[in-house]
Amino acid sequence: MLQAHSLLWHYLWLAPNALLLIIAFLMWRSELRKAFPAFFAFALFSAVGEFALYAADVLPSVTAENFWRIEWASLLIEGSLKFVLVAEIFSRVFGSYDSVARLGRILIRAAGTALVLAAALAAAYAPRNMTFGIVSGAHLLSQTIYLIVSGLLLSIFLLSAYFGLRPSRPVFGMALGFAISSCVHLATWAVSANTRLPASGRVVLDFVDMATYHAVVLIWFYYLLVPSKVAASPAVPLPENNLEVWNRELERLVQR
Amino acid sequence: MILAIILVVAAAVALIFILGAAISRRLQINAGAGLSQQIQPIDVEAFRTLADPAEDEYLRRRLPAAEFRLVRRERLRALAAYVQVAGRNAAVLVRLGQAASTAADADTVEAARRLVDNALLLRRNAALALLRIYIALAWPNSGRAAAPILHDYEQLNGSAMLLGRLQNPAVPLRISATS
Repeated sequence: MLQAHSLLWHYLWLAPNALLLIIAFLMWRSELRKAFPAFFAFALFSAVGEFALYAADVLPSVTAENFWRIEWASLLIEGSLKFVLVAEIFSRVFGSYDSVARLGRILIRAAGTALVLAAALAAAYAPRNMTFGIVSGAHLLSQTIYLIVSGLLLSIFLLSAYFGLRPSRPVFGMALGFAISSCVHLATWAVSANTRLPASGRVVLDFVDMATYHAVVLIWFYYLLVPSKVAASPAVPLPENNLEVWNRELERLVQR
Repeated sequence: MILAIILVVAAAVALIFILGAAISRRLQINAGAGLSQQIQPIDVEAFRTLADPAEDEYLRRRLPAAEFRLVRRERLRALAAYVQVAGRNAAVLVRLGQAASTAADADTVEAARRLVDNALLLRRNAALALLRIYIALAWPNSGRAAAPILHDYEQLNGSAMLLGRLQNPAVPLRISATS
């Protein structure tokens, strides 16, 4: 074990990932796996990756250097899956509406480019630790991934709010959980990567990260697997108006 | 350290906005029944007149340059007000259309989908038109400001009326009015 941990630490590391595996299993048994393949893959690989990391942390035979190598591999796979998942959320929110899908793609690409530049700048100005380069590199990679992902998700939220679009319950839950996780993790990794925190400070940040992730997995569980209370929307009541004259006038305008 | 502070503040602002969006979604679901009352009828003829480039040309020919700029700015401000209302109406219609898209009747679902698509187009064009109007406010001698939005608004009227008829044949939905 790299360092001694409390029971709460072990719980917060293992429980959300066990829950995520349950979500993946229940998605695999239902139609949700086909509806949200990127999220299914993310849930599966993220949970397996974290279990591997946990095992590397507690097994005495795994050296610190190997632990960080596993962390790097896990970060790279998880990071790639996160971008695929953002694309899935985007296509679920805007993909079915031709009128905004193209504009949305243009805006999201522009936002993505700006975010990559911002992340590169942030990484360039971050302090380097040459002695533990593999550790500070992992922190920087995390900061970069979370900066881009949280920015892209914020763009999706802003666009859908502007257009008044209400994504379906599972898509909203996925985006909400993912956005909360990305924002909190961005803040904690930014502090980790750019300041010289004492060990106790890092432990606090780790607890914040893990507790947030636990809450986010519960959000995913709720939005993806708990059925909505309202089975079907009631018919939208339309206003009573003396519209016959106006209808004729408007139809004339439409057909002109 | 400064970089860390900037990133933490950015993350906090993003989080606040996202949580705000989640809360407003919950409120929207609860307030779904009163949606159609939020639509403000628009005087299409007045809008059409304001957006007509021939009117601008006529005024340009008849008025001295300084007076034309003054009048055109007034007309552009009025046009912006119309476009803002049209954009807000479009957002309400998106929500109405999305709410209607869960109906059992296939015709209603199709009409709702068309309504949402048209409303989104209008919302997009409203943003672009507003941008052009504000640019035209800075340079009042520039050309047309909002001609495309009128066409989209008329299309949207057709979609909304079709959805209104399918849902309640006796009471079509109005999103336009004349003065």
